[in-house]
Amino acid sequence: MDLSRRHFMEAGLGASLAGAVGVGFGLPASAETQNMPAWHLGYQNAPAGGFEPTPMKLVFGKAPSDLKGSLYRNGPSQLNYGDEYASHWFDGDGMIHRIAIEDGQAVHQARFVETRKRREEQAAQTFLAPGFGTLGDESYAVESPDDTNAANTSVLVVNGELLALWEAGSAFSMDAETLETKGPKTWRDDLKGMPFLAHPKVEPDGRVWNLAVGGPRVGIYRIGANGALEDFGMVNIGRAAYIHDWTMSERHLIILVQPWINETFIPPVVAGFEWQPQHGLQMLIVDKDDFSNQRWVQAPPRMFYHTGSAWEESDGTIKFDAAFYKEPVLGVDGGTAEIRGEWSGEYATEEGVLTLVEIPPQGDAKLIETALIGEFPQVDPRYRGKHRNLVALASGASTTRPGSTALAVHNWTSGESQSFEFGHSRMVEEFLFVPKQGGQSDLDSWLVGPVLNIKSGVREICVFDAAHVSDGPVCIWQADYAWPLGFHGTWA
Amino acid sequence: MTRTASIAALIAASLTTAPIAFASDLTVNVEGIAQAQGSIMLGLFDEATYNGDGAVNGANLKVDGDSVSVTFEGLEPGEYAVRLYHDLNDDGEMNTNPFGMPTEPFAFSNDAKGRFGPAKWDAAKFSLSADGTTHTIKMN
Repeated sequence: MDLSRRHFMEAGLGASLAGAVGVGFGLPASAETQNMPAWHLGYQNAPAGGFEPTPMKLVFGKAPSDLKGSLYRNGPSQLNYGDEYASHWFDGDGMIHRIAIEDGQAVHQARFVETRKRREEQAAQTFLAPGFGTLGDESYAVESPDDTNAANTSVLVVNGELLALWEAGSAFSMDAETLETKGPKTWRDDLKGMPFLAHPKVEPDGRVWNLAVGGPRVGIYRIGANGALEDFGMVNIGRAAYIHDWTMSERHLIILVQPWINETFIPPVVAGFEWQPQHGLQMLIVDKDDFSNQRWVQAPPRMFYHTGSAWEESDGTIKFDAAFYKEPVLGVDGGTAEIRGEWSGEYATEEGVLTLVEIPPQGDAKLIETALIGEFPQVDPRYRGKHRNLVALASGASTTRPGSTALAVHNWTSGESQSFEFGHSRMVEEFLFVPKQGGQSDLDSWLVGPVLNIKSGVREICVFDAAHVSDGPVCIWQADYAWPLGFHGTWA
Repeated sequence: MTRTASIAALIAASLTTAPIAFASDLTVNVEGIAQAQGSIMLGLFDEATYNGDGAVNGANLKVDGDSVSVTFEGLEPGEYAVRLYHDLNDDGEMNTNPFGMPTEPFAFSNDAKGRFGPAKWDAAKFSLSADGTTHTIKMN
């Protein structure tokens, strides 16, 4: 950690704006939010009409001249109607953000995904749809998974088409420029309404792989770089494990069957989970060229949400990184307290551990834990499925508020980690690798991601040099308003 | 994820006709059909048959516009409900995705909706009077 840089972050940049910009600026302040702690800004509703394209201000450093593209992000952005709060973080309506960066300028805009759930709940100004943590109103009809689709988890751009992703229903097609909602995406007529996980895996050449999870039955999508469905097949994973993410090497799909089982999946979904550690963490390895060519691998029990990416050694050993927990987190209470502005500090002892999973050609998998805690692991898109050096994480923890405090990068080749500690003033989210022009390895990358400055009540987009994270940000753009915490993004 | 799968089975199994001679006529209009192709496969039920395999009556209605209509003659006045699906590819089946969710449009009388399953009888039922009744279903 660079103390002088942190001092600047904490005292200089924060203090200079704290007086000018009040907490809640840009978000509709209401009576029930006025007594909330500063960090609750991350859980407050975004404006119903979204955010019109607004330039952000470069407040630190110099923007890399080769950084050109859009950071798209998604996250739950309607977590209360008056004094009625969502029962789970996963149940808020998705809002798609776009931070377009070019010529050193950053412009932010955002729109809610206009799902049926969003439309009807906005009209009624109350929660109606059943969900992950929500029983829902008996009067709310549910004839397909998309009737409860919150479209709030991630985004994918394939062949120029922007998709808002959930995990239990269709992807929603969006206009990549205006962020207007077009509607649910049907990949093929006979797959209408099939779930499309929020963690598709994109090969360096643009081919997309993803899963459709329905209890023990799992569908596999193979989508060409041109956006057309090339293949769809089904495999059976034996039990109704919760699958939020998975991973992929050059030749294999690796489906992690964690011992967190939900046989019913009836709303509120969270009530149906059972931790069954006796099964351990099992992994189904599927040949990309022949889905019937499968192998099961056993590992000790772990719960997880997110993986980095997998690669294969020359002897056939498969390795991948993930943020692992010893037992389930978040699913049980789903941040219910945080949504209401309450914080007990319990998460400080339940952080994910960056873990390397080694799967030998025969036999059980081995878990190698690092000293790094964190979530939202990301790798360079040029090396998805391939051997690489780096994985980046939102890391660090605070005893006074939820959320991460640091950006960390681990180098599997050197075994070294770097991190930059933002301190208590910034809630750190997922950072994405953006390859530098002409770069020769993943060390030649920018890391681009958002933080929520809870001291000044504004949003910032930070850029780091992936090889020199501990040096602090290369540049920071700042909005003069805030938007809620999100989940995942993509760079396009 | 398979909660509405039974809709397909119930509607598909329902289209055996069993006309009974009574005095009352029922006209069912189906409006708002999105695609001018295939057939509307419509089953008419009373309370006893609504959750079973057989229908009181039924019709396969060719779609060449955005609406179709059928009149059932000689029905006994009383309570009825309609379940229908739009057989877009005319394969005679309500197609489903690999998880059993319908991939072809379906509807119920009163425009009733289900909640993790078909619409309930109480939501879909309507009265056929002795003078005859016209009932309109809007697809959406």
